[in-house]
This record gives sequence, structure tokens and C-alpha cells, in this order.
Amino acid sequence: MKLVPRGLALAGWAGRYVWSGWAGVAGLFCLAAAWQAGHEFYGSFVLPSPLETLQAISVIVREPSFAKVARETAERSLAGFVLAVGIGTTAGAIAGYSFAAMRLMRPIVTVILGVPPIAWIVLALIWFGSTGASAVMTVVVAALPISFAGGLEGVATRDRALDAMARSFGAGIWMRFRTVTAPHLISYLFPAWTTTAGTAWKVTVMAELLSNSGGIGGELATARALFDIPRVMALIVAVVAFALITEYVFLHPLRDRLERWREAGLPWGVKR
Amino acid sequence: MGCEAMKLALESVGHAFLGRPVFEKLDLSLVEGEVVALIGPSGCGKTTVLQIAAGLIDPLRGRVRRAYRRHAVVFQEPRLLPWMTARDNIAYGLCAIGASATARVEVAERRAREVGLHPEDLDKFPVELSGGMRQRVAVARALAVDPDVVFFDEPFTAVDVGLKRALQDLVIEAAAREHFSALFVTHDLAEAVRVAHRLVVLSGSVEGLAASRVIEGKPGERNDRIVFEMVETWSRDPAFHALFDGERERIR
Ligand SMILES: Nc1ncnc2c1ncn2[C@@H]1O[C@H](COP(=O)(O)OP(=O)(O)OP(=O)(O)O)[C@@H](O)[C@H]1O
Ligand SMILES: [Mg+2]
Repeated sequence: MKLVPRGLALAGWAGRYVWSGWAGVAGLFCLAAAWQAGHEFYGSFVLPSPLETLQAISVIVREPSFAKVARETAERSLAGFVLAVGIGTTAGAIAGYSFAAMRLMRPIVTVILGVPPIAWIVLALIWFGSTGASAVMTVVVAALPISFAGGLEGVATRDRALDAMARSFGAGIWMRFRTVTAPHLISYLFPAWTTTAGTAWKVTVMAELLSNSGGIGGELATARALFDIPRVMALIVAVVAFALITEYVFLHPLRDRLERWREAGLPWGVKR
Repeated sequence: MGCEAMKLALESVGHAFLGRPVFEKLDLSLVEGEVVALIGPSGCGKTTVLQIAAGLIDPLRGRVRRAYRRHAVVFQEPRLLPWMTARDNIAYGLCAIGASATARVEVAERRAREVGLHPEDLDKFPVELSGGMRQRVAVARALAVDPDVVFFDEPFTAVDVGLKRALQDLVIEAAAREHFSALFVTHDLAEAVRVAHRLVVLSGSVEGLAASRVIEGKPGERNDRIVFEMVETWSRDPAFHALFDGERERIR
């Protein structure tokens, strides 16, 4: 009985979500128009046209090796993402609960934040050599501070009045974390997670390119050496597409599901 | 009602925040089925007494004896979880004591009916409810755990006069029906006289209770004229002066 309206609600939400994508597509086409204008001004050697790039993409995706390098890069960014988010969020949450831990960890994170990612790549190359591990490590240290800050802020700003309410009903620590702190924390973590997901793709490709350890970054290095500009553009577009897919196919729907209560509070006109 | 079982006793309790004493040597007890109104001027420490009684803060001095299974608190603000529907909010206390999912739904719906919430409101989130409905949900959440003692901290100060009466009647009925004891904090003498069996006044200065009066008759059986006359009589009583003199906040 309850399944049918729930299925309908889900279908309605999915329809609205996909429909809202049109605005994004329109924006992307504006960008493509500007790109075309640049191409006509500078010529194919500096900036291949969107059409040439599309053709190059269609060639690349048919190469069997592309699937392999794309998977390599995806696995590295995923590993980096999971580690950065896991370690960062946990450490941040602990710091949010414990004043002493916060005093101790804040400066460490500030120092990590101060070191430019490029320096981490050099260090990672020395420590791990030309392997995937150096790309993963670079992603972790580059993206960890954002999750740390999100976890710290989320736990530190939890509603103590609600916590007292939960205690008055005899709720234990775990239940209070699950029902009072975690839903509040999520709203701090999502911005951190979307940024981390984007950073993970970008930094992985950069580390791969510099450490010559295969993946899309490695392909990019080869294409650059051969002056195959359309291929360079195609690889760039592919990475951007992967980052967009991660954000809009995985993270945003998850957020919408978890934060339904927030949408309920919006005035009618603002609802999608 | 001297012969009934003692449910809660505060014995010479004293508390201070950051070295500033709020009250000392306060004795207060609740017997079974008794509603005690705790009244006093703003800032005199009523919320503090309630939090100590409910075990939310530990008193600096004295001790609290409890002889009951379960209590519930209705706070000054509704304190609903914004990410849960009204139904899940009402069932929150049941969740904490480990009731089964079916029992939670059944009890939540029954309690919602009792406090006058529509079944369709149960699927709404707190932001979609009016202020009065939120406070009703908070009352339903407290009653849902079948408490032996309920602590009310000025629960109806933020609602309009008509709704206030309706919510007071709801508490009076529930207390009579389910026979729980209650500590009802308020700064409104008329409200205290309507809902309580007994009235205690927390004095503005540090020494503790200024007065304790048994209110004649039963809550719910006093009509408006009786309530009005009692308030009139007591407002001339020196023990209640702190409530009515001009300075609202106590200056130390
Ligand atoms: N957490 C706290 N830290 C420091 N001082 C506090 C704290 N809570 C309360 N106080 C002080 O203790 C005194 C009593 O506060 P309390 O909240 O118990 O008053 P109240 O009688 O409930 O007032 P009201 O009727 O306005 O709600 C006040 O002077 C207040 O400033
Ligand atoms: Mg108070």
C-alpha cells in the first residue's frame, strides 16, 4: 500500500532532478560557444574546436587502452577520496568533541594546508616512486583539511539544547550521535565532500602527469609530447566529465535524499 | 496527600554557576500523582532547579532522590529534531528505551490524537508545523514514554492565550488520567493555580523556597472565578511579592 506512493514520490523527485539539469546544459552550451569563438580566433593548433575535440573523444573512448587508464585514474581518485574523507572527517569530529584535540590538531592541519600540492607531489615521488601511491597520497594531503574543517565545524556547532533533550530521554552516546549530531554534521560535510571529489580527480591527473605513473595523466603527458592538441583537449574534457558525473550522479542525489527535511522548510517558490 | 509514595525529593540542594550562587538549601518533594507548580521571578533559577531534578545537571551541594522508572521533560522551547517527521519526533523517547517499531508507530499515533494533532500532520517536518503544533508534538513526545514524573519548563509561554488554555487543559487531563507526578515551572501565577495541586515559590534571593501553598480543590475543577480570586488573594501575600514588584530581573 505504502510502496506505490513512495515509488511515485521517488519518480517525481528523479524527474525534477533530471529536468533541473537543463539549466546546467544551457550553461555548458554557452561555454562551448565561447570556446568555438576562441577557436576561430586562434586556430586549430592553439585551441581545437569543440567539434574536433568531440571527434577526438569518440576516437579515444573506442581505444581499449583508454578504459584501462580511465579505470586506473578513477581507482586512484576514489582511494584518495575515501582516505581523505575518512581520515579528515574522523579527525575533525574528534577535534569537535574534544577541546584539547582541537588545540592539538588545528596547527597540524594549518601546516598541511600551507604546503602547496606540488610540493607534496615531489615528496610523494621521493617516498613512493612512480606508482599510483604517490597520486593517492597527494590527493589525501591536498583534500584532507577541507573534510577536517567540515567535521570540526559540524560537531562543534551541534545543537546542545537538542543534545540535552536527548539526554533527558536517556539516549546513549551512540543514539545521540546518530540522531542529533550526525544529521547536522552532514550539512557541513557535503560541501567538503563535493570539493574533495573535484580535487581528487584534478590532483590525481596532475600527480600522474608529473610522476609519469600512467592513468589519464600519463596519456596527457604522451599527447603533449606528440603535440596532439585535439587529444589533449579530449582528455581534459573527459576528466571534467568524470568530475561532473561524480558530483551530479552520485553526490547530489545522495544529498537530496538525506536532506529532505531542509527542502521541506523552503517557501513554495523556491522549491524546485 | 501525605500518605502517598514519594517519587522525587531534592534535599538541601544548592547550586552556583561560575561561583555565583543561584540558590542554597532547597528542599522540594513530589508525591505520586501530585502536580507541583514552581513559580518565581525571571532569572531566579527555576530552570536550574528543573534541570537538577531531571538529572541534566549535577547539583553542587545536596542530593536528589528518585523513586520512579522514567521521566520526561517538556522544555521552554519545543526542541524537536528538525530532520525527523512529527511522528518520529513523538516516538523519539520510545526509540531511546528500545521499543519496537510497531509499538512506536502505534503509540505515536495515539498520543498525537490525544494532544489534538491531525494524522496528516504526522508526516510533516517541524518547519512545516505552526508554533502551537510544535509544542503539542513536544508534549506528545513526553507523554509517549508513559512517564512517572514529567518536568515542564514554562512550556506554554510562547503561545497565545486561547491555545495556552487548551494546552493547560491537556496537561491537566493527562495528569488526572495517567496519574503521573509533575513539576510545572512557570512565572504565571494564574497558570500555576489552574494546573497544580501545590504551589512553591522560589525566592528572588539565594535562600531557596519562599513559600509553599496547597491549592484547594483539584486541577480542572476550579473555574475561572476561583482561579482569579486565588490569584488576587495571593498577590497581596508578602511571600509572593518578588513575583509582582517592578524589577523583573534580579540584580546581584
Ligand atoms: N549555563 C549557565 N552558565 C552560567 N550561568 C547560568 C547558566 N544557566 C543559568 N545561569 C544563571 O543562573 C540564574 C538562573 O537561571 P535560570 O535559567 O534557572 O532562571 P529561570 O528562573 O529559569 O529564568 P526564566 O524565568 O527567565 O526562564 C540566572 O542568573 C542565569 O544567568
Ligand atoms: Mg527558565
